[in-house]
Amino acid sequence: MNIELTDITRKFGRNKAVDGVSLTVGPGVFGLLGPNGAGKTSLLRMLATVLPPSSGTLRLLDRDPASPSACAQIRRRLGYLPQNLGYYQSFTVVEFVEYFALLKEMPPNRVPKAVAAAVERVDLGPKAKARLRTLSGGMLRRVGIAQAIVNDPELLLFDEPTAGLDPEQRVAFRTLMRDLGQTATLVVSTHLVEDVGAACSEVALMAEGRVVFRGTPEELTAQGEGHGVGDSPLERGYSAVLSASRKQVAA
Amino acid sequence: MDDDELITSLAGGDDTALRELFARHAPWLAARLRKALSSHDVEDVLQETFLAVWKSAKAYRPQGTPEAWLWVIARNQAALLLRRRGPAAQAQLDEGPLAADPAESAAVRADLAAAAAAALGPPGCPERELWRLLYEEDRPVAEVAELMGVPEGTVKSRAHRARRLLRAALQGGPR
Amino acid sequence: MSESMTDGNGDGVDLDRVWVNVAAQVWHRSPGPLERSAARLLRSPGLARALFATRSLLLPWLISSVVVLGVGVVAEVSAGQPLVWLIAPVLAAVGMAYAYGPGVDPAWELSCSMAISDRLVLVTRAVAVFTVNAVFGLAASVLTLGTRASADAAPVTFGWLIPMAAVCALTLAVAVAARSASVGVGAGVAAWIILVLTRSSVSDQFTAAVTDANLYLPYLAVAACCAAVVIIVTRTQKGLQ
Repeated sequence: MNIELTDITRKFGRNKAVDGVSLTVGPGVFGLLGPNGAGKTSLLRMLATVLPPSSGTLRLLDRDPASPSACAQIRRRLGYLPQNLGYYQSFTVVEFVEYFALLKEMPPNRVPKAVAAAVERVDLGPKAKARLRTLSGGMLRRVGIAQAIVNDPELLLFDEPTAGLDPEQRVAFRTLMRDLGQTATLVVSTHLVEDVGAACSEVALMAEGRVVFRGTPEELTAQGEGHGVGDSPLERGYSAVLSASRKQVAA
Repeated sequence: MDDDELITSLAGGDDTALRELFARHAPWLAARLRKALSSHDVEDVLQETFLAVWKSAKAYRPQGTPEAWLWVIARNQAALLLRRRGPAAQAQLDEGPLAADPAESAAVRADLAAAAAAALGPPGCPERELWRLLYEEDRPVAEVAELMGVPEGTVKSRAHRARRLLRAALQGGPR
Repeated sequence: MSESMTDGNGDGVDLDRVWVNVAAQVWHRSPGPLERSAARLLRSPGLARALFATRSLLLPWLISSVVVLGVGVVAEVSAGQPLVWLIAPVLAAVGMAYAYGPGVDPAWELSCSMAISDRLVLVTRAVAVFTVNAVFGLAASVLTLGTRASADAAPVTFGWLIPMAAVCALTLAVAVAARSASVGVGAGVAAWIILVLTRSSVSDQFTAAVTDANLYLPYLAVAACCAAVVIIVTRTQKGLQ
């Protein structure tokens, strides 16, 4: 298993952003769904080793990130696309991807080819030498995806990856996600239900810091039978589970 | 853009022009090379071909066709690859799909003549005249010495200088 | 996600792979001699690249620093009043604030997930920025040596390095804690000005902030405390990075 979480909690002051989450995730595309403030980003940041858990046990790629040397080893095999990624405006696409390839301690002789492959994979080849300040939001998002995949990671974490992409690009990106999920563990945090339905083999639904559902997209869809809220079966399942969890909390 | 414009553009450092040129010409080059080489070798040769195109685009003169120019470069790269493998492999250069095409050889000679003109000076200057007599018209050294009114030793040293000038001018051109 | 570059070629020739290999060489820019030397010295090409991407070590920034110090040198020579000791710590503090941290790095979140830890980048950049500014300041100081009375020539020429360390450490600590380079600069510059004015009014000597040897230990103590603040603020958890 590439991700093993046992009773993970993360507090910010008195607020529990993540509350007792336990998950094991292997290779494949794993969706993390939930409304704003559900704790998805905090959970993803812990998986990216950017944020430590307040309590609980976290193991990534069979290692404990609490150890500095293990943390560095994890990070070499990790790809992370944060929700709000800023860019160095004076860098070109290639320079940006290469910069982070080097920070991931990729062997320098492998970097040029890996960068070219990553840039082509996200269909930014014609813009390879363009300055980032000249690119649209959707293109910048693809640059972010390129830096995440440049080191051929075993663990990929995408936070709202399709933000800013047009429908055609979103379809292409879902194909990329399925492709990446064949050899890596890809965790996609999103509030777009259709992203999950199209690409994920498994999904967890978070609400108020807890995982309130874990299963396949089909199982989530089944939860929505008889539920009226939502434009698609998967959305109805999503709404039904959320609604049930809120009632449980209120009770 | 037509191919000549693409090559001019990539000579100025436009990598998207190289990309377009690759998209247009790599398939037929690959198909042609594939008749003589394995798929792995074709990939190596194509890679070196387009890198040579990138480096030598400034030396391109639109006298032949871009296809002929590209094929000459590709063939040269294939030749380098085969030479490294030894005489048996090298024999493929003279037979079959990699054999020199008379039309392409003419294009190469035209390109060489243009490079010589640029490197050796205007018509009438000694190095240029010597080049014409000795290499383009294939006259013996003794005859060239008599025609130019100089000793044979002078012809040889001027020939050496001319070859040096031409080599320097072709530096970075198709190998 | 990527469309094939060509319409596809049979016979097992992967033209997309060929193009990637071509593009790798066409797009790649080899690091310059300085970066290569830094990579050998630091034993890390990534750390060298991070160093050369430091905003306050970029050429325009360095040129601005030289210009400002140059103006200070000219003013000092013409007015006969030492000024380099006053300006150098301010320049270094500004450079330090813009070298590192969430306030200046738009990709900060991503940088925190890298194998080369952001703390290592911090130390490397801080040392480099301090060293560069120290060299510039010393050069300017030596150029204006003739304008000083022999009694305070040495302290005014070199003594500002210690308060500069304190001002830089303070600036960095505030910038990192406040996640804002501007706030850090404001704090560092304000602290330096207050210190200079206070010491000069107490001792009736304008250069007292650098000539009074009794202040050196407190300066070093401030630098150490601020360094500790930076370590604590940048720590995510004990054992993690």
